[in-house]
Amino acid sequence: MPLTTRGREIICRVPGGVLRRTTGVGCEIARHEELCVGCGKCATNCPSGASRRGDLFDVGQLLDAPADSRRGALGDALRRIMRHQPDGPVKVPERVTVYRTVIYDDEKCLGCGTCVRGCPAAAIEARPPEAGAAPAHVTSAAEVRA
Amino acid sequence: MAVAERRSGDDRSVVAFCCRECAYAAADAAANARTSLPPTVRLVLMPCTGSVSPLHMLSALAEGADGVMVAGCLEGQCHYREGNFTAIDRVAFVQRLLKSVGVEPERCRMFTMSAGEPPKFVAAVKEMDRVIGALPPLERSHVAKAVA
Repeated sequence: MPLTTRGREIICRVPGGVLRRTTGVGCEIARHEELCVGCGKCATNCPSGASRRGDLFDVGQLLDAPADSRRGALGDALRRIMRHQPDGPVKVPERVTVYRTVIYDDEKCLGCGTCVRGCPAAAIEARPPEAGAAPAHVTSAAEVRA
Repeated sequence: MAVAERRSGDDRSVVAFCCRECAYAAADAAANARTSLPPTVRLVLMPCTGSVSPLHMLSALAEGADGVMVAGCLEGQCHYREGNFTAIDRVAFVQRLLKSVGVEPERCRMFTMSAGEPPKFVAAVKEMDRVIGALPPLERSHVAKAVA
């Protein structure tokens, strides 16, 4: 994967300056929260800690989920009994695992695409770096600065 | 559904998800002792309260139940080690979901008891029946399912 200008900026803020477990950097990551099933694989696989599981759950995610999914079924049941639109995110108890909104921090993201490859629900999209970027043999901040 | 009709007391319903190892055994013992339960309660046998998901509880409410109770083992005495702790957290989560959309969180509750406590089970069911009876009816909108 070629190293883009954004990738060069990103690699300079990697702790220690060397990339591990990733093949390249610089993709634009777009998350589609309505498709997320809350498995947390993106948070587990993320090498930089940009994706992590939050303590809150956005109830709107249930109402927007596709009708044939488990979250969609839960949202359908909730829609039938609700008296007004959800007030906002709810705090999730410790042992409830899948109903959590993943927090994504663009500032920490390396754009490596590891989360995209691990996502079982195809809820994350990686837009490839622009053509004509520098080749990806550079894997450390020192080489970028050189 | 008119409130006056509900006062008759038998058109509401409470679904009780009962753990096979304790609450259902307690219900069984209560029945053998010919203790009467409120006619509004419907028992559902579950292998463990840890297998009751938020979808079970909300579907029951959406499909016609006025209240849902989850009855499991005493804390620390789950036959599958920690199923009841999972259930306690899931019930708390469903209560927060209900509260955020304006439905009374009391409609979903967790009770714990051992197999040797039939009176405690009967008291829990009566308590749930009393609480649900005091609440206004749960209106359901019959919205068509979103097209996939």
